[in-house]
Amino acid sequence: MPSFNVEIIIENKKMARDPEGETITRDLINRGGFQSITNVRTGKYLKLSVKAEKKEEAEHIVREMSNSLRIYNPVVHTCSIRIKSEEL
Amino acid sequence: MDERSTIKLNLTQKEIKEAQIRLGREPNETELGMIDVMWSEHCSYKSSRKLLQKLPKEGKKVVVGPGYDSGVVDIGDGDIVAFKVESHNHPSAIEPYNGAATGIGGIIRDILCMNCRPVGLLDSLRFGNLQSSHSKWLFQNVVKGIADYGNCTGIPTIAGEVEFDESFETNCLVNVGCLGFGKLKDLKLGRMDNPGDIIILVGGSTGRDGIHGVTFASRVIGEESELDRPAVQIGDPFVKKLAIEATLEALRTGKVTAVKDLGGGGLTCALSEMSSKGNSGLEIDLNVIHVREGKMTPYEILLSESQERLLFTVIPEGQRKVLEIFERWGLSYSIIGKVTHTGNLVAKYNGRIIVNIPAKLLTNSPLAVRVAKKPKIKSKKSISRPAIPSNISKTIFHLLQTANIASKDIIYRQYDHEVGVRTVLKPGDSDAAVLRLIGKNKAVAIKADCNSVHCFLDPYNGHASAVAEAARNVVATGAEPIAITDCCNFGNPENPNVYWQFRQAINGMSYMLKGLKIPCVGGNVSFYNEDETTGNAVKPSTTIVMLGLIEDLKLITNIALKRTGQSIIMIGKTYSELGGSQYYRLIDFPKGKPPNAVVSRENASIRSIIEAIRNGYLTAAHDCSRGGISITLAEMAIKGNLGLKIDAKLIPRNIKVRIDDLLFSESNARFIVTTPKPLARKVLRLARKNGAPAAIIGEVSSDNYEITWGKKRIAWNSIDQMRETWERAIPEAMVGP
Repeated sequence: MPSFNVEIIIENKKMARDPEGETITRDLINRGGFQSITNVRTGKYLKLSVKAEKKEEAEHIVREMSNSLRIYNPVVHTCSIRIKSEEL
Repeated sequence: MDERSTIKLNLTQKEIKEAQIRLGREPNETELGMIDVMWSEHCSYKSSRKLLQKLPKEGKKVVVGPGYDSGVVDIGDGDIVAFKVESHNHPSAIEPYNGAATGIGGIIRDILCMNCRPVGLLDSLRFGNLQSSHSKWLFQNVVKGIADYGNCTGIPTIAGEVEFDESFETNCLVNVGCLGFGKLKDLKLGRMDNPGDIIILVGGSTGRDGIHGVTFASRVIGEESELDRPAVQIGDPFVKKLAIEATLEALRTGKVTAVKDLGGGGLTCALSEMSSKGNSGLEIDLNVIHVREGKMTPYEILLSESQERLLFTVIPEGQRKVLEIFERWGLSYSIIGKVTHTGNLVAKYNGRIIVNIPAKLLTNSPLAVRVAKKPKIKSKKSISRPAIPSNISKTIFHLLQTANIASKDIIYRQYDHEVGVRTVLKPGDSDAAVLRLIGKNKAVAIKADCNSVHCFLDPYNGHASAVAEAARNVVATGAEPIAITDCCNFGNPENPNVYWQFRQAINGMSYMLKGLKIPCVGGNVSFYNEDETTGNAVKPSTTIVMLGLIEDLKLITNIALKRTGQSIIMIGKTYSELGGSQYYRLIDFPKGKPPNAVVSRENASIRSIIEAIRNGYLTAAHDCSRGGISITLAEMAIKGNLGLKIDAKLIPRNIKVRIDDLLFSESNARFIVTTPKPLARKVLRLARKNGAPAAIIGEVSSDNYEITWGKKRIAWNSIDQMRETWERAIPEAMVGP
């Protein structure tokens, strides 16, 4: 069975604040002299290898896992799932 | 204005009419939105305020009673303690991590506003059974939210309690408390009483998040809540730490006249409460407020519940000095207006007056008339009592494994409980946490308590018991109980059965508080804790946070057995009161009488313990409650890493009490203490003098846990095995989704 590389990115929703990102922008980057960087958003990144017949199936498996195991909370987070490549 | 479509009012037609009459005209949309929030249950206490009057508020040590951001008591030498507990149930039920974190954020501000330094946090949590994956998710994330926020702000989380029961499956209860130390001469009250003062909004920017959070909390949770996204906030402990230091420094200048936290109801609530309390008015300009998003409407600015914001009033000549402090700490601020003497809250937007409404109209909502009706108990056929367990040792093991009794180490290990170097007794050491005042020979003890099952089976006695247990817990550390603050968690008050529970609860608490002469200096009421789809309300639960004073650090006592050969003494009588006990829940037996709460018994036991500790007689003291005598003894042995030998025949008891009652009944007014053998008689004499039944029931041994009935052995366990079972139960339950 083929195997797919899948990425999950979990971020705070656009309308929600991101105190960690704000602190990094202010206290690390701007204070460190990089004034042209005006905003940082942090998040969580997971890289998975998924055995599946097709791309769509791999995505479906990851989506279902993310929802049923609650690796994010739809109330505050967005969860984007991207198929990167098929492993050989 | 095109706002009408976005505003969903919760006011009743009658309330809207009342608002029109009091205002003498039709309120505009923005004003109506403000009235809607201020007259919501959460802000107005419209269902509860009349009943809450029954709680005793007076006492020699009371400095500030209910009605302000937190209650304040005098602990002598010019020192004061501010403390408060609040619910954050609804946000935590849909976003446990941020819901709990912002709860901690809010309660810290309540202490800060009184010009006290927050020095300790406590939390009282209730979840469904840990077999459910939803409960595990809530549990894990609530604890992490408290830990991350508390640890970042440098305030230790020192005490709390957790209870698991299926009624909290969808509606978990997250009650967060804080206490702070300050000086009586520096105390500040959150009121505007000096017209001409400048009003400054400090801290986080105002955004669209959390608009109408309070009306959200005044509704039941249903399918829609997942979409109620703006009601959930993201906490920012980094800004909070700066805000704490900046606020305390600004207050030291003497130029600040008042500070108030922006919580539920946002600017509207803070402004109207401050001016209403100070019999003043105010005028603000909404255009100057630092906002996070462009094009916010006046309605949104006035109602936003964005986190980490504080409102200051400053005398005009002090403005520059105070602003310098905010700048140095890197905090954003806006000078939004000034205090007037009109009694009205006036807000301008784009040069036009868009709000002009009496502050007292907002803060004095009409009362809601609620009906109380005792629920009908489905008549079950009377069932005879379950047989005495054939293997009592095994039953004790099973009890140690139940989540309500098992070690809560997995929770408090995540909290920093020592930062600030005030912590003398840490979580797990004793019945209550003890914090010392640096440089003084005194300390305070604090504990949160409630037993939801007892409160459900008998709201009157259950809530009276919660007060009594909280008092016993601080007493066991060597403290004299001085005041409480409470947090009531109930279902929908429009349901007569729920309202009956609430009334019984207040009556029960009032009876015990008056009897023990302990005032209630503040509180919080959370209604609508029920599942909309099933209609099931949470078990009625009022968290009692008890504060005690220890006037000599040498008197601090913990629960651990200390030395083999010392006498073990039981104070207080055991009754056949197994209803709702952990033992009956274990064997799933639905009947039985829950414990009675009787003032005279509590007073007798409490006085005996306080006097015995003051005389230096006791080496350990433990309140006897959940799980009964068998579990109380087990905890003392586990903590002390020593064994014990008890003869159950010697336990003071009511006639017709069986062995299962003796070991597992959760009767009130009981303590187990240890004392060096030569002092045992003196302890008994003290108890007799105070009218408390007492007896020597056994002694401390080196290794095993042994209970006999006369010569006959009825339970025998190894302490090491008991400890392992007790410590591993919750971590093991948490394995897997």
